[in-house]
Amino acid sequence: MANIIETAKGAGCFGTLLTAVEVAGLTGALEGPGPFTVFAPVDDAFVALPPGTVQTLVDNPPQLGRILKFHVLSGAYSREVLVTQPEWESLEGAPVAIRRADPFEVKNATVVSADIVCDNGIVHVIDRVILPG
Amino acid sequence: MTISTAAAGTKTPLIPPSTHRYAEVIHRLEAGGSMLPDTPENLQQIIGIYKAYAVPMDFYWRDLLYIAEQVFLNPLPAFKYFISQEYLDRPNSYAGDQSQLRIWRGTEKAHPELLEFMERGETRRMPKLLHHLWHDRVNMEFAEACMQAMLWHQGMGGRFNDYLASDAYKANADRAIKAYFRGNPLMLGLYKLFPDMILEQVKQLSYTANLGLFWEVMAPVFFEMSDLYDEGKLTSVPQAMDFLVNGIFAVAGRPIYHHVFIRGECFEIIPKSEGFTWLYEAALPYVEAVFYRTSPFRGTKSYNAQAGQVPDDQADFHYGILYADVFPVGSAGIPPTLLMQDMLHFLPPYLQETYRQHKRGEEDQLIQLGITFQRSMYNVTSAVIQALRCALLYPLDDTDPEHLLANRRFFEAQMDRFLRPEARLPDVQHQDYR
Repeated sequence: MANIIETAKGAGCFGTLLTAVEVAGLTGALEGPGPFTVFAPVDDAFVALPPGTVQTLVDNPPQLGRILKFHVLSGAYSREVLVTQPEWESLEGAPVAIRRADPFEVKNATVVSADIVCDNGIVHVIDRVILPG
Repeated sequence: MTISTAAAGTKTPLIPPSTHRYAEVIHRLEAGGSMLPDTPENLQQIIGIYKAYAVPMDFYWRDLLYIAEQVFLNPLPAFKYFISQEYLDRPNSYAGDQSQLRIWRGTEKAHPELLEFMERGETRRMPKLLHHLWHDRVNMEFAEACMQAMLWHQGMGGRFNDYLASDAYKANADRAIKAYFRGNPLMLGLYKLFPDMILEQVKQLSYTANLGLFWEVMAPVFFEMSDLYDEGKLTSVPQAMDFLVNGIFAVAGRPIYHHVFIRGECFEIIPKSEGFTWLYEAALPYVEAVFYRTSPFRGTKSYNAQAGQVPDDQADFHYGILYADVFPVGSAGIPPTLLMQDMLHFLPPYLQETYRQHKRGEEDQLIQLGITFQRSMYNVTSAVIQALRCALLYPLDDTDPEHLLANRRFFEAQMDRFLRPEARLPDVQHQDYR
């Protein structure tokens, strides 16, 4: 089975996310044993952000890393488990809210593909970049 | 930077109308508008005052960083407003050819109108010290009052304030304090006796850096809006708001940090690697502390705290520009008046003409421009509200009624803050409020 990074590379729709993870220096961590739960925004989710947003973050890796860590939970949780509690603490520190079970919504993003099981965790594909607050 | 016109202009029948007291404003926000009605005069007033605000702001951010990074713990900072040439020339990160993200097309150095005013003042050309003593200068006291509002209200979201209480911060500050007072046994002795007193000063300086970095962004944003308006490219209040929303997103990830330079060596009291951002650690706390809360200004009114005239909870403070009765707070020497005085020097001609035509003409233009400023800050607050909705909730043209109801609840909760009688939201709906 592939790890989280290999799985994302294979999918072909996470180019921006993978670049961001690389710039923020988080690739090694996501290749590690984990386990993690990753809410992975597709490329279109980054395109939807106003101009300049992504560039400013890419220019500032610690700040970018903080936003990316908001998309990661410590531990591997399937959709079935995630919907059992309203909030989960992200690696960034702020809570990630599970807003709806059906359709499955994480904060203001909709999960377009859930429960992609990897060696070191579970990936849920989301249609928007989620932000703390 | 481009101007987004993405905000939907159509009303949706998917959810019932709001029954909130400010339903009209809420429906306008849901249609992509601002709390400020879209009229040509509102547009002209807010753009004109943004320009007049941006020029002194160009001094504020430079001097705030000069104080935080260079003056630092000087026990007698009599010359802290005598900004160095290096800081007047310091390239703005969002203007000029060198900027990675260019917001304003103009120069990266201090604005020419600012330099001219520093040279001549209201009176005439004379040595800097005389301008200072005659108080014919930019009122940095206003900028420091804003910083103190942020320091005093503190925990308003973000991680900045928590970090100031951390061991890492204390250790970084300790290194800088000892380096700054090296060879000064009196101050080092004082630090040993009362370490928290000096540390508190450093915390204040960290907020000084925070506000300087916040305003470094806003000055070029306002200059660019003014230029676009002059070219006929900003034609409505929602467009002006959208420009601000885009600006907020574009710089949201800018690092907020506090570096100090002591004898040529840089001490990172708050390193960039902490990951603090412009949006979470500066902009949102600033809006909360300065637009909404602040504190009652001394000498303008008597408040009896025991009779409940001052809220028990700091979160309920409501002395910011969104609630201000501009006439009584227009007393000389208090922070809002200092800002009004600063903006008066840089009003575009069209705004001077507007003030001449209304009320008492030039005699009460400080009040008139104060009310214009209030209108303009309702528009900035609208941009913050729309940016938060965009970041945390759903698009205005979403087709899921649940999502639209979530947006509605958010807008209504924001408008609840203007239900108290002091709020000026109802006033700014009318053009004759001047």
